Amino acid sequence: MLCTLPQRTCALETLLRLPSALRARAFATATAVPTPTPAPSSIPPPWRPSNVLDDWVQREARPISLRQLTFFGRTLTESRLISSANYVRLELPTRIAHRLRNMQTLPYAALTNQHISHVYELYYTAFEQLRKVPEVRSLDDNDRFCVVLQTCLKEHLSVIPRLAMGILEIQDSVSGDECDRFMTTLLRSRISRRVIAEQHLALTETFHSPWHFDGKKSHTPPDEEFVGEIFLKCNAKEIIEECAKAASDLTAKAYGPDVVLPKIVLQGHLETTFPYIPSHLEYIIGELFRNSIQSVVEHGGSSATEPPPIEVLVCEAAQHVIIRISDRGGGIDRSILPYLWSFAKGPRRHQRLQNLGQVPRLAATMQELQLPPSDPDFVKRSSSVDMTGENFADSSSLGKLSSRSPDLRIGIGLPMSRIYAEYWAGSLEMHSLEGYGCDAFLQISRLGNKNEVLSTRATMDAV
Amino acid sequence: MLSLRAAARNNGSPVSLTRHIRPVTRPIHTKTVTDADIARLAAKPLHPLTLADLCKHGHPPLSEQALFNSANFTLAILPSRLAHRIQSLRALPYIVVANPNVSKIHDNYVHSLSTLLPIAERKIESLKDEVEFTAVMADLVQTHSNTISILARGFLEARKYISKVEVTRFLDEHLRARIGTRLIAEQHIALHFSSKPHQKLSDGHDDDKMDHDSYIGVIDTELKPANIIRNCEQTVGEICELKYGVRPTIDIVGSPETTIAHIPMHLEYILTELLKNSFRAVIEAGTEKEAIEITIAPAPASPEETKETKNKAGQMAHAEVGAISNYDQGSVDYASGSNKPDISASANIRPLREATPGVTVRIRDRGGGITPENYEKLWEYGFTTFNEDEINEKVSGSGGGGGGLDVMSGGPAGGSSLAGLGYGLPLGRAYAEYFGGGIAVQSLHGWGTDVYLSLRGVGKVD
Repeated sequence: MLCTLPQRTCALETLLRLPSALRARAFATATAVPTPTPAPSSIPPPWRPSNVLDDWVQREARPISLRQLTFFGRTLTESRLISSANYVRLELPTRIAHRLRNMQTLPYAALTNQHISHVYELYYTAFEQLRKVPEVRSLDDNDRFCVVLQTCLKEHLSVIPRLAMGILEIQDSVSGDECDRFMTTLLRSRISRRVIAEQHLALTETFHSPWHFDGKKSHTPPDEEFVGEIFLKCNAKEIIEECAKAASDLTAKAYGPDVVLPKIVLQGHLETTFPYIPSHLEYIIGELFRNSIQSVVEHGGSSATEPPPIEVLVCEAAQHVIIRISDRGGGIDRSILPYLWSFAKGPRRHQRLQNLGQVPRLAATMQELQLPPSDPDFVKRSSSVDMTGENFADSSSLGKLSSRSPDLRIGIGLPMSRIYAEYWAGSLEMHSLEGYGCDAFLQISRLGNKNEVLSTRATMDAV
Repeated sequence: MLSLRAAARNNGSPVSLTRHIRPVTRPIHTKTVTDADIARLAAKPLHPLTLADLCKHGHPPLSEQALFNSANFTLAILPSRLAHRIQSLRALPYIVVANPNVSKIHDNYVHSLSTLLPIAERKIESLKDEVEFTAVMADLVQTHSNTISILARGFLEARKYISKVEVTRFLDEHLRARIGTRLIAEQHIALHFSSKPHQKLSDGHDDDKMDHDSYIGVIDTELKPANIIRNCEQTVGEICELKYGVRPTIDIVGSPETTIAHIPMHLEYILTELLKNSFRAVIEAGTEKEAIEITIAPAPASPEETKETKNKAGQMAHAEVGAISNYDQGSVDYASGSNKPDISASANIRPLREATPGVTVRIRDRGGGITPENYEKLWEYGFTTFNEDEINEKVSGSGGGGGGLDVMSGGPAGGSSLAGLGYGLPLGRAYAEYFGGGIAVQSLHGWGTDVYLSLRGVGKVD
């Protein structure tokens, strides 16, 4: 079901064979002549013909569900692996093309912002690399393709903070709402591309591992815990406890050994399990805990008395699992409440911008990222199960974000968590009792049969 | 002390003060309302009401002049509000307004406007005029006290001819406007009776609370939500005891001694409705032994809203053209077409003057939550999951059926006192949102429900 034949490549080739005069008449996407001494914050991207993109933009993205990913990966054969490779090979450039078109239609002043422009360049380079990959026909082809994939994944680690900074800087030319829509669309697409890519890389690794027998129907028992990136038996209790510990440790490091941390108390249906991608869940819950612990510590002031505990409830229903995190950290300040879910922060914009610039290794350029080539760019299975701080931090951009010091408030935790939560048709809600505390509700779809939530043409036109 | 049980009995209308007013002996003059009158009045923009408006005439007991000011202020804004309502009703499909129940409501509004027209042009400058005016106010409140159940019946009967979405949109707007209109009228009546010229007229025996310093008309500046909660717990608990033989209990945590300035009638209505839902849920789920946890959290006093948050709030109000937000307070209506969203929205957003302390009340029950299908319909008017037979089966079955209910529900026929109309939540939210608060419902299907009621009070009153 993931098998696909290239549909539009012949049209593309025809286009490229056109005489140059006709090609040149294609609508230019960026200014041809940059000004002699551009201000450092305004860097127009180089000119490129737009018709190359047009073809790919025409294709619709084909959303996928957790269940499909799981079933597909359960029985791995060579032909399935190759189908997967071809699905990824076509899906990625399609999705990137849509985002490139989004960026091209931003106001000029916005796209020429140094951060947005940097991300645009990254995307365009990736697009060019991926669209030129020929059809995968053999395992060797697949291996070459995987190398391309890994490179792309690595290079794009800095996208999130760069985008966040760019959004904060272009507030004068683009409205807050439009920025949020833009950012949400981009991030959703980014998650989706990484999920697809990382899943394929994981499947390739499984296929090549010494204990895999080609074609045999599940050499491992049917309820094997991992299928690629997906952990079939995410246990709410375990993940919550791990995240709680990690967040508490981080806070302790930042506030000193004398700080009294709130206890985290669990109740509810603690045995419940569901299929999910652990790194996503750990990010969301980690962010929620960071916020809660931090607000409790700060709300309590310097009193040495036991701070009120953070209460976590796990509730299981037929189709959902809901996790409620209740703290008594004083609630959310009324002045920032309207901006809670926005990337375009209101009163605290400047502080956030400064902090973003300081997040270690996140704003790194390509040269500074020195991950060894053998180290695959996704969370290793073992590390996501034990989840020690260091392992997690090294291997993914999510990990780096999660391990930042609590001092650095960059203001994107909640909106990002919501995008992750909504990605597999879940939701994230916050209710604040001003002056008292906050309740966060994370709802996860249990059955894994909901498609990814992407911003398609239809949803964007409907806005 | 105003009777609180009446709040539970009266579906949708908080107990009105007219119960305590002696019947008016002089006849009320009316003047025929013409279409021209309605068009003229509806063309005027609506005055968005703030709690401060209601208090600005001064602390009771009001002097004669202050009383006249209150009367004139009320007189200036009521006729156009009524005209807007009439136009709104007339914009509904003919076949819906032809329904006898809906038609009755329409006639009520026309009648009320007819009583106001004779005095609308004059200024009130004598006690005689003021008394006549107050009589008109009393008549207004009395006439419209059963609007909700009658409208509900009307829309139910006409449901084939109008979509749920349209009904919701109309009712959201209409009921919000109604809250304001009644409030203005009842406020003047209360101020009238506690004013200096009329002190000898007041009943005295049951309205002690109104002479208390903390009251300004219908507003209690030292309202303690915890007290209202305990009273509602009693009322609703008694109904449950009668009907099901069990009585859930409440645990109040947080800051129970919190007070805010608000309108007791409104809070009673909201809390009664919310408690009805919670109590019924825990009884049906069998968890009535576990206390329902209610947290009272006072919002800290904050400095005046910054320009940015005001603009953002304005953006939010603009979010969907035509969508009713709490900022509109029923001042926006499509029917009359007399307002454009921009103008009305900007007119509605009042900068908050001094600190406006508010309160958030969180009601946490373990009643099993709301199913996803029902959650979609939560805010629809007329949606209810109340099925009397079903519930009687689940709960021992020894409790009497309808018989016991009628004893408690002194209201008009059809008013089940535990549930049934399907108006409790949307109307409760209308009350909460009226002065900038709100209700949010979070369901944990399989465990329970959390309800967040936020209220804003009036600021410092001179």
